Amino acid sequence: MYIYLPIAEQPIHSLAILGIGAFLGLIMGLVGVGGGFLLTPLMMFLGIPPPVAVASVANQLVAPSVSGVLSHWKRSNVDFKMGTVLLLGGIVGSSIGVILFNFLGKIGQLDFVIKSSYVIFLTLIGTLMFSESLRLILRTRKGKVTRGKLHQHNWLHGLPFKIRFRKSKLYISILLPILIGVIVGILAALMGIGGGFIIVPAMIYLLGMPTSLVVGTSLFQIIFVAANTTILQASQNQTVDVVLATILLLGSVIGVQIGSRFTNILRGEYLRLILSSIIILVSLKLLIDLVSVPSDLFSVIISR
Amino acid sequence: MQFFFHINLIFLVTIITSNTFAQNQIVADLSQENVKISTDFQGAKILLFGAYDGKKGDDIIVIVKGPKGLVTVQKKEKILGVWVNTRKVNYINTPKYLSISSNRRIDDILNKKTQKISEIGLNNLKIRIQPGIKVKYEKKWRQALTRNMLKSNLWSINENSVILNKDSLFRSYLELPSNVITGQFEVKILHYRNSKLVSQQINSINVSKSGISAEIYDIAQNYSTLYGFFAVLLAVLVGWGSNLIFRKV
Repeated sequence: MYIYLPIAEQPIHSLAILGIGAFLGLIMGLVGVGGGFLLTPLMMFLGIPPPVAVASVANQLVAPSVSGVLSHWKRSNVDFKMGTVLLLGGIVGSSIGVILFNFLGKIGQLDFVIKSSYVIFLTLIGTLMFSESLRLILRTRKGKVTRGKLHQHNWLHGLPFKIRFRKSKLYISILLPILIGVIVGILAALMGIGGGFIIVPAMIYLLGMPTSLVVGTSLFQIIFVAANTTILQASQNQTVDVVLATILLLGSVIGVQIGSRFTNILRGEYLRLILSSIIILVSLKLLIDLVSVPSDLFSVIISR
Repeated sequence: MQFFFHINLIFLVTIITSNTFAQNQIVADLSQENVKISTDFQGAKILLFGAYDGKKGDDIIVIVKGPKGLVTVQKKEKILGVWVNTRKVNYINTPKYLSISSNRRIDDILNKKTQKISEIGLNNLKIRIQPGIKVKYEKKWRQALTRNMLKSNLWSINENSVILNKDSLFRSYLELPSNVITGQFEVKILHYRNSKLVSQQINSINVSKSGISAEIYDIAQNYSTLYGFFAVLLAVLVGWGSNLIFRKV
């Protein structure tokens, strides 16, 4: 069934969107990692204009984050103090990101920046995830499991404005989480992602937070970053398609539930291997689009 | 004054009394004058039909022109291995929709000079580059504009698509693609006889958004911040709701 998207101003097959939402929800339910960073590229492949794809995906992101935080909160896995510091940075970052987004749109480089940022990040995540899961698979086959150090001290812990985070059992400078928040916020606004794949490793390796708190806390800050991005994108650029976001949402809600029921069918490493292969393929497709000679060097923009 | 009135009256009487039409008169109507873009919109197909005083050597050309405005042509260049938009040319007062339909090849109906004067044909449109911009290879840019507008189906040339019936009736389908722009569309029906314009009529089509889709668009444009808050609220509710529903899973 085709449905006309009011902001994208084009009809699209609603089952395609619902399917993509469900597929990424399924990944989220199965692997526990948000497949959010695949969502925007897939929307672009379907022909949704990149600015609308990015802003609407940011909008839909609010829902799984809310639902995720609620269940992590119940298990007391959220450090609200750390989350608040991160989200302060995140709000600043996403505001910068939306302004940048607007500026890039005006000079006609927005599509290019969105696509190339995706190529860089997807390649990075894809190869990291691929090699790590492959290493894990090979290692468990050999029967050895080693663990690295969890908490390391480095120069980052020497920064000023230290604050005690009781829940995370940390005494660190407030500057570091704020900076992480800012970077993730900019990316969220520019790429329509929650930034979980950046903030989670950053929280573990840079901040040294306990792993159990990381996911819940990052989801907590994502809610606000995604909400801020959505509101600013809507007011500055009018690119949030609420119909697109809602269909995606419904798909992902269903997908997550299905996924979380079948977590035991495949081992995590294998799932990650599959997911990382998909990510690499998507980034390759985007890269090919950027480097191959366009069929027409010229394109038109029709102002509304 | 009196005299002209009488002439007019006589003319009117001849229209009414004659079983055909007044000399050289063309009459046309559309199956649809208001196109509504609603949630299930996938483009529109409108029937244009009418009657004309059919004689030998008659031709009909139908020109549909959408709202005019700014259209930007961008050019990509290879920089460090990737293709990036580097240059652009703005065209002002460009029709964002244009279809030219005729009963046979336009070149067979009118000579090039007449086509140019009457602005028939994509290259004869009087489109201007935004003042103040110096453009090299102007022709190349203009060709790119035409090519891309044709590709997006917003411009089209449909020769042989006006069907003339029994020398006095004609019909043609006008197709508006799903990416059509809203606004007032002018439908100009030109009746030629031996390459001379004998009569014409202008109709119009109004394309507008309607239903939920229109309301969402309106709110997004006019109350954009409120719209943003609403979008977030909706997502929060769905997230919270899904958590409640599937809590026991």
